[in-house]
Order: sequence, then C-alpha cells, then structure tokens
Amino acid sequence: MARLRRFLTETLPVDWDQLRELGAEPVPHHLKHWWWCLGGTPLYLFVVQVVTGILLTFYYVPDPDQAWESVARLTHEVRFGWYLRALHHWAANLMIVAVMLHLLRVFFTGAYRHPRQLNWCFGVLLLACTLGFGFTGYSLVYEQMSFWGATVAANLVEAMPLVGPAAATLMRGGSEVTGNTLTRFFVFHIGLFPTAMAALLLLHLALVRLHGVTRVRFSHEDDRPGEASFPFWPHHAATELLIGVLLMYILTVLALALPPELGPKADPLVTPPHIQPEWYFFFSFRLLKLTSLQTSVHLTLVVGLLIFAWPFVEDLLHRWLRMPREASVVLGVLGFLGFLTLTVWESFAG
Amino acid sequence: MSLDAKRIVIAVLSFFFLGALLLVAWRETLRHTPEGEPPAIVTGSNQACVTCHQQHSASLVMQWEDSRHAKVGIGCLDCHRAAEGEPDAWRHEGQWVSALVTPLDCGGCHAKEQQEFARSHHAKAGEILASLDNVLAERAAGMPGNNADAVNGCLQCHGSIIDFEHDGEGRIRRTGAEKRPVIDPNTWPNSGMGRINPDGSKGSCHACHSRHTFDAKLSRAPENCGKCHMGPDHPQIEIYNESKHGIAFHANRHEMALDKDGSWILGRDYSAAPTCATCHISGYLAASGEVIGNSHDVGERISWTLRPVVSTKIHLVRFEDGYQENWPDTRPLPAPGDAVESTEHHAKDGRLVATPLTRRVRDVVTWEERRSAMKGVCLSCHNHTYVDNFYTQFDDLVVLYNEKFAKPAQAIMDDLTREGLLDPKTPFAEPVQWTFWELWHHEGRRARHGASMMGPDYTHWHGMYEVAKHFYEKFLPQVEELAARKGAAATWTPRLEALLAREEHAWLRGLSTQEARRLQESYEHRYGAPEP
Amino acid sequence: MTPFRNRSVPCYAFPAMTSSRRSVLARALAGVGLALSYGLLGGYFVAYLFPPRRTATRRRLFVGRREQFRRGAAHPFVDQRGRTLLIVARPDGELVGFDSTCPHLGCHVHWEAESASFVCPCHQGFFDADGVATAGPPAAAGQSLARVTLEVDERGGTVFLQES
Repeated sequence: MARLRRFLTETLPVDWDQLRELGAEPVPHHLKHWWWCLGGTPLYLFVVQVVTGILLTFYYVPDPDQAWESVARLTHEVRFGWYLRALHHWAANLMIVAVMLHLLRVFFTGAYRHPRQLNWCFGVLLLACTLGFGFTGYSLVYEQMSFWGATVAANLVEAMPLVGPAAATLMRGGSEVTGNTLTRFFVFHIGLFPTAMAALLLLHLALVRLHGVTRVRFSHEDDRPGEASFPFWPHHAATELLIGVLLMYILTVLALALPPELGPKADPLVTPPHIQPEWYFFFSFRLLKLTSLQTSVHLTLVVGLLIFAWPFVEDLLHRWLRMPREASVVLGVLGFLGFLTLTVWESFAG
Repeated sequence: MSLDAKRIVIAVLSFFFLGALLLVAWRETLRHTPEGEPPAIVTGSNQACVTCHQQHSASLVMQWEDSRHAKVGIGCLDCHRAAEGEPDAWRHEGQWVSALVTPLDCGGCHAKEQQEFARSHHAKAGEILASLDNVLAERAAGMPGNNADAVNGCLQCHGSIIDFEHDGEGRIRRTGAEKRPVIDPNTWPNSGMGRINPDGSKGSCHACHSRHTFDAKLSRAPENCGKCHMGPDHPQIEIYNESKHGIAFHANRHEMALDKDGSWILGRDYSAAPTCATCHISGYLAASGEVIGNSHDVGERISWTLRPVVSTKIHLVRFEDGYQENWPDTRPLPAPGDAVESTEHHAKDGRLVATPLTRRVRDVVTWEERRSAMKGVCLSCHNHTYVDNFYTQFDDLVVLYNEKFAKPAQAIMDDLTREGLLDPKTPFAEPVQWTFWELWHHEGRRARHGASMMGPDYTHWHGMYEVAKHFYEKFLPQVEELAARKGAAATWTPRLEALLAREEHAWLRGLSTQEARRLQESYEHRYGAPEP
Repeated sequence: MTPFRNRSVPCYAFPAMTSSRRSVLARALAGVGLALSYGLLGGYFVAYLFPPRRTATRRRLFVGRREQFRRGAAHPFVDQRGRTLLIVARPDGELVGFDSTCPHLGCHVHWEAESASFVCPCHQGFFDADGVATAGPPAAAGQSLARVTLEVDERGGTVFLQES
C-alpha cells in the first residue's frame, strides 16, 4: 500500500495538500438553498448527454437515406436503445429548462454585476450552445418536423442583417436543405458544440471559482458567522450527488412514461400541413406569426444582444439615465413573462 | 440539511432509481421488433424498375410488394424479361422486356400448373370463335371496321389473339426511342382465359390470379370465376349463390382460410363450404387419408358436357403429345396407341387457324372415372347414398331435357335445313332460328347447369319452364308458320301433330276431367271461390 | 499561494466530523445505493453496445431458375444478410451453394471452372469442388468453405436459398 502511494505521488507530482484544500473550499451558506443548484444541474445533464450521445452515435447513421431508419432500428431493435434515446431526449429538454432557470436565478440575484459581467456573457453563450444542441439534435432524427423545422430555421437565419445569407449557407451547406445539411448538423452536434460548450464551461467554472460565489444574505436570516460557509467536499458534493441521482430517477421515469416516438420520415417534396419547432423555439415561431420575417428576426437579435450585454447595458442606463438597478428586476420579469406568453400561446396553436 | 441526512436521501433516491431501472429492464424484455408484414425483397436489377415505377405506377408496385413473390425476392424482371427478337420484346432502360407475361413465362417456375392448364378446356377458350356466338357478336351486333362487341364482350372472357400493328411492309410497327412494338389495341388489354399469345402459348394466368399481388384469396373465391361463368347462357355463379353451397360459403367466408399460404385442402384447411375451385380444381383430403392434389385441368372431374344442343357424357382422350380432347360417349372410343385425326389451333397473322393433324392416343379417361374423381370431393361432406342419388337426379334432368326437347328440336332444325326451308348461310334470318338458338343455348343450358349445381330455381323457372314454354309457345308454331310460308305445310303439319301426339306432349290436348277438377278445387281452397 | 483561494468569503474553521454509527450507516447505504443503481445503468450501456443479431427476415429467397445455372460454372449471389455466395452447378447437374468467404482471413474466393476448384487470391488457398481446402493456409488448418442450403424444385424449375 505504501509502495503504491509512493509510486502515485512520484509519477503524479500533484500537490495533494493543495487538492485537499481545494476540496475543503468553503462554500457560502446560502448555497444550502436549493435554487443555487441550478448551475450544477445543467452540468450534470450535460454529462448525461455526452455519455448517452456517444452511445447513440454507435448506431446512428448521418445519411439522409439511413438516418431515420437508424433511429427506428435504435428505438425498436437495439437492446435498451429506446431507453438511451429517451434519456437523451429528456435530458435535453430538462437541460434547457435548467439552464433557463439558472439564468433567471443569476439575473434576479444580480450576480451578473461587476466584476462578473464576462461570466454572464459566457453563460449566455452557454445558453446559445444548449439551444443549438437542441436544434441540431432534433434535426438529426430526420423526421418530417426535423427537416421542415431546419428549413424554416435556415430561412430565419438568412433574414438576419448583413451576415444572414452567408450564415444560412454555412448552416445548410448550400442554398437549400440537402444531405449536406444533415452532415453539417451532425458535425455541429457531436463536434463543434461539445467543444465550444466544454471550453465555455471551463471558463465559466473557472471564473466562478476565481470570483467566488456571490455572497447573498437573506433578510430573514441572522448573519451566523460560524456557519457562514461549509466545505465543498463532502457537503456540497453530496448535494450535487443527490441532485444527480434525483435527476437520473426523474429521467428514467420520464423515459418509461413518455418515451419519444418516431414521426414520419422526412420527405423533401411534401410539406406537412402543420410545422412546429421544439417548445424552446415556440416564442420565436409565435413572434414570426405575429410580425413579419424581418421584424421578428431583428427583434429576436436585439433582445438576444440585450440579454447578452445586459451587465453593460444596465451599467450604461444607470449612469446615463439614472435608472435604478432594481429596475432590472422589473424588466427581467416583463421579459420572462413575454417569453412565457409567446411560448404558451404557440403551444395552444399546435 | 445535514451531511448524513443528505446521504440518507441519496440512498433513498438511488433505490428509487434502481427500482425505475428494473422497470426499464422489464420493459426491455417485453420489447420485440414490431410485427409488421415482412418487407418486400428487391434484388439486383429489379431495384431500378421499382425505383422508377414507384413514381409512375405507385399502386402497381405496392401490389407487387404485397405479393408472395416479393417476399422471396421474385421481382419485375423475373417475369417481364424477354429475349431479343421476340415480337413483343423491346429494350427498356437497359433490359429486354415485354409487357406480356404469358403462361409459358409463369410456367418457368410454375411448370406443373402451366402444363395442366395448357391441356385444359380453359386454354381452349379462345378457340370458340368460329361459332354462331361469333356471328352474333361480330355480324349481328358488330359492323365492318368496328368489332367492339366481340372485343369488349366475348373476347374479354374467351381471350383475344394478341396481335401487333404492321407497317406497309408487314413488319411490326415500332414507336418511340425504345422502339416499343405497337400492339393492336383491339387485342390488348385482354386477360381472357384462352388468350392466344405471340409465343404460341394459350391463356392468361392473370385471368384468375390477378396481378400483381396474385392473391390466393382472390383466386379461391367464387366471385373470381363469376366474371365469366355468369349470365343467361351459363349462370354458374348465380346458381352457386342460390345453392346451399353458396349460402354456406357466404355465411362462413371468414372461416374458409382463403388467404392461407401454400396448399388449400378441403377437409384439412377448411370445411365450411365448397367454392368453385374446391370442386373443379382444388385439392381435398380423400377418405383414404391421402391428399389429392389440385389440378389446373378444370375438366378432370366433369362427366357431362352441358354445352351443346344435346348433352352427352364425355370421355377424355389423352394424346402422347400432351394434348387432350373430350369425346362424346356416342363416339366409339379409341385404344391406346391408335392414331387419330385431330386439330391444332393456332394464330397466324392475327387470325385463328385450324390445322388438321394426326395424334397418337396415350390413354382414355372414361366419364365414369371423371365422375368418380368429382365424387371424391363430394364425399368429404356427404355420404355415398347422398352423392349417388344426387347424380341420379342430375342425370335424369339432363336426359329429360335431351329427350323431350333437345333431340326433337334438333331433329326438326336439321330436317328444315336439309329440306331447304332454312339456309345455314343465314343462321338468324328466321324467328325460329333465334328461338331454337335460345332454347338450347340459353334456357336449355340454364336448366342443365341449374341441376348440376343444385340451383332449383334456375333448373325450373329459369330453365325447364322456359324451355317448355318456348318450345310449345314459340318454337313449334314458328316451325309451322315457316313451313306454311315456304309451302311445306303438307309435310310439316302432320309431322308436328305426330310429335305432339306423343305421351310426353299429350297434356297439351287437355287435362282429364279429374285433373281439371282437382286443379280448380285446390285454387278455391287456397284463394276462395270466384265471385258469382 | 494558490490562485484558487476564495477571496470574497472569509475562511471559517469547520467543526470536526464525528463518525457516529448513523454516519457510517448513511455512508454505507448511500454508497451501496449509488453503486447498485449506477452499476446497473452501466450494465445496460454495455448490453446496448452489443448489437442485436440480425435475423434474416425470410426463410426462403428466390435465387433463379434452374436453367440459368450452366454446368461447371459458378453463379454469384448476395443474400439478405449480405453474404456473398457462389452457387456451382456440378457436371451431374446438382447445385451446391457456398459462402465465398475464405475461412482463413475472410477474403473472397473465386471459382475456376477449368480445375473445378475455388481459389483464394490473398494467401493462395485452394478448395476442391466440395469446398474442402486442399492447399494453402486454409488446408493447413483443415478448413472448408461454409455450405448454404439450396432448395431446388425440379418440377417447377426454381432454385431457392434456405435462410436459417
């Protein structure tokens, strides 16, 4: 045993003491509130997606003539294939929800403010990646909805000012959705987005560690200096582990109760009477129906940029227009309600 | 929440997770590949046909995909491949094909059925077109340059002679880049039973085994035969539907195993009722326990010919070259080895040509043997007495028709012709010729067929009643009128009187007083006395 | 000085943990629960990775008509499982079918009519008309070509492949 320990310490010259210190890193007391686990949740779900995603790639074939069939084979013939697909499907949906809730939590606790502006930006980029994952992943199934959803999305991208046509061509791999598109989406989904997400996650987590988690004091609590923090290991780690198992349980129950089925195969010649994207794009789809293509694209872009740059915008508004910082809360509530309204409205149209 | 509490919660949650995973395992054991119809197998060069024709004729391809052929990988070219040089062949998308698939093509795999069919009466269906039926369709109903009645009517059941359009030099006209031969539109489409094909074969398997699904349940169903075996001159399907056999079938259609794959044996696969195929073609479980297989030679179990003016029993004379003929029992039978005068029918330049030739007799199957083969089927449901007595009843009806009406009428017509009162060159000039025609060709056949398949109403009201009525009310008076018109009344009136003096016609002179009174009493009893 | 020291929150001493029986039980239960559940999940993942055996969906496959097979020649055919087969018509008329995959290292053999034998070009393996290896590495290992069952209907003139 001692020999093994000596071998490890000599071949892996890590400062173990430093690591232990790292593990014992004090975590602010307020993290005992479960809302603060909304950051770890999407991280865990991302791991689930990577694992299930790699496994799904063993059987998925990214070719227009075989994609749908390979998903069907996976769902119906491969051992536990339906379960893996269901896990992947539900983890995707839950991850998007978790990321959005995490964004809301960060926003409404003001944790985007100086000095954490950049981290907020990385977070918004992470949200964009997550949505990108959802969109490309759904398109890979190559159902009718996948194909036509991709067509509509590409048309939206094309309507963006200046970069629109180029971006759409890059996205589609051509001037229209073809086999090239499927290949590209596959690369985006298993190569580009995972790499971007991993890099952004690294930056995001590093910044969180460097800045420290924003200290928050709840008005109903006394300031209990003795218990103002607790060590990451094993306490917070146990919390995260708990959430992990809970998530696995929820995902499995969802997989059993609501396994994803397979719609009709994509037919480039037949547009189904009813196209609808996945729920997380309902707001955009409803906006499209309420306004023109140009208006909705521009509006979405503006709002997106506002969200991305909100720490700076808030600062500017505060300094130039003397807007109180609390106004952000109101604006945030309004924005979120707007998003909810559009989403729910579209869901009834379906 | 304390650390220990968290750990307990982790433990609890993980056991919940474990439970859910066990449910996943259970669901996995229940999972099986969806039981659908196994897909069609498209092999090699058939893929190109399917890909293109899926667009051009989607339902046709879908029908093929539903077929048993597709399930084992038999596709388009396996039937439609033709050899370069054949009159109906052309080069289509890199392959020599023909739209026509003849019994010889089907016989490449279904040799037994094709051989049986080729010697059967069905294969000869296209050879009837030199009869009075022909005159009626082409001359009475049709006109020069327009033979549409025969083309749409008779030929669609009996079969056309497939022919092509020719150019000025007598070569087959070809059209388009692929130089497709232009078929005479009056001869195709046609799936008549005795269609005469360019390759010399006779028949169309599609007549009963509709393409491209070649569905067994269609071929075994009585409606299939009913396309042709119906109508005023041979209402077999109507008779069947009237009969107890037909009633049993319609009530039990879904227990008939009509779509069973492979063999379809009475007494083993189904028992509820016979269809046309059951008695005339299909296999059955004999009393010995042996399975008697099916035969596409539909005449093997037939003992009477109910077609001609006067019915006879028929023997099957089989020749060494595979050909066979039905000989009436009035004709002396040949011995095996005898050389006999026979005929070969084939198409030449779009016309039917009959060539006399000599054939050597292989053996003879007597009418008794043929009847015995049919009885083998009956005995699956009925006992010997039942079956034998039925045949007694049936035979008696045919004899009744023969003796009382057919033979005397035929004799009269022969004599009228011989004496010059009727001209065979004008077969339908006189009313009596129409009457006689319908007497034997329509109601006379209806009566005989009705008795053959236990359709009482067809036997009597549609049959013998009309035979009797037309014989007495139309035929005989028309003979008399014709004779009088042609100045032969002196010979004919006494002759007709002598005929009517016979015992079977004596009722015309009047009923006895006793009979008349009994008749009156029975009506009064039933309907009441007439008003004073 | 590590770069990871938290600056915004003072570091408080944490009370030392006592290992009580409850603590041990809690740790044990959590450990067992996690191990079992994630272990089972891992088992499913492993099972998932073994592809289901592709069963041939049909028992019989039409190969061709009897007259298509010339005596002394081999007729290639690909079955539903993707196996490349060679069907040889013997001089006496009998049809025999072989999987053309060489049992040595999986190359495809071809038929040589003049010598009525199969030859594998990769390592010069030779097989006789019965598929038994006569020379080269397959012979050294006592191997032969895998046979396939053919159903020949002499009466109908059809040849079918029997898929197991």
